[in-house]
Amino acid sequence: MLSRAVRPALKAGAAASVRPVAAPVATFATLREIEQRLKSISNIEKITKTMKIVASTKLNRAQRAMTESRQYGKTSNTVFEQAETKPLESEGKKTLIVVSGSDKGLCGGIHSGLSKQVRRMLVETPDADIVVLGEKCKAQLSRSNGKNIVLSFSNVGKNIPTSQKPKRSQTRSLSSQRTMLPFRLSTTSSSMPHLTKPPRLKLSRRRQSRNPVSSNFSAFEIDDEVLTNFREYALSNTLFWALAEGHACEISARRNAMDNASKNAGDMISKYQILYNRTRQAVITGELVEIITGASASED
Amino acid sequence: MAFAWKASGLTYNKYLSVAARVVRRSLKDDKRLAAERRGESELRMAKWNNGKQGEHQNVAEANAASMAEAAGSPAS
Repeated sequence: MLSRAVRPALKAGAAASVRPVAAPVATFATLREIEQRLKSISNIEKITKTMKIVASTKLNRAQRAMTESRQYGKTSNTVFEQAETKPLESEGKKTLIVVSGSDKGLCGGIHSGLSKQVRRMLVETPDADIVVLGEKCKAQLSRSNGKNIVLSFSNVGKNIPTSQKPKRSQTRSLSSQRTMLPFRLSTTSSSMPHLTKPPRLKLSRRRQSRNPVSSNFSAFEIDDEVLTNFREYALSNTLFWALAEGHACEISARRNAMDNASKNAGDMISKYQILYNRTRQAVITGELVEIITGASASED
Repeated sequence: MAFAWKASGLTYNKYLSVAARVVRRSLKDDKRLAAERRGESELRMAKWNNGKQGEHQNVAEANAASMAEAAGSPAS
């Protein structure tokens, strides 16, 4: 009997020479190969299952944070609705697209879906500036639309976003005019999150003009100076909303992706288990046949 | 209405975050630890120029630098 370590080398040598002669050795080797694959697949299944469990525990908290943050976003939207804010129709307005992704992968096609959506929007407004949050979307967008990117942020989305983060990031990006702030919104309440078309929040504001084009804004009776503050705050509010929502989507997408992955692994495991058993059976039968023929031959 | 913090180059959001930090620090110990964790941020950013990514910077430091810059000029 050859030692186990030698066998792969022998197999390689046998494969190089004549095939039919090496057949019994090959069966032994494949049996072991199957066993090894079976082991590695079941390890993968364990990992994906754990990730799924982690994601689903996180999902609850993320979802709660999302619903809470949605309230913030809605309230600030209501103000703009009541004020009947309209996008500026002037020349030379710029569009800023804030892509709210995250750093981590392994969550299905959510980042590529987001990037695709952004690309589609760029077809409509080719000169829009992009601010990217998160490494994943950055990598995807820099390949196709690198020229449009003005800022990118990383280390996003490790935890449930707090309102601190958008504030920090926003102070840097305030210098450009913006007319649109689209972000991803998808429903996590259903088990399968899907990227819905991001509702475009048209916050018209130009840095130069004191008053945005809001016909009804005077109803609030607010000083002009406070208005700039409000504008800043509304932006960070919206960003916070986008972050929380994006985080929840990502977690939910990851949970589903991991669920699918462990299901696939389970399928593969059962397939390989059957294959393994059959091969083993075949080897045993072959050996039995050899012994019996040998015994009957020596009897005579 | 003139704001003192505006004259010193703070944006409203920066003003808010400073105020929030003060509140967090003045909490009782048990609550403060949890609250201060919320205030932490490891956000990093990079400027892009013509399709090329610039240097990575820590956002907190970059903010401090830009604030010092803005403090000199009158706030809009």
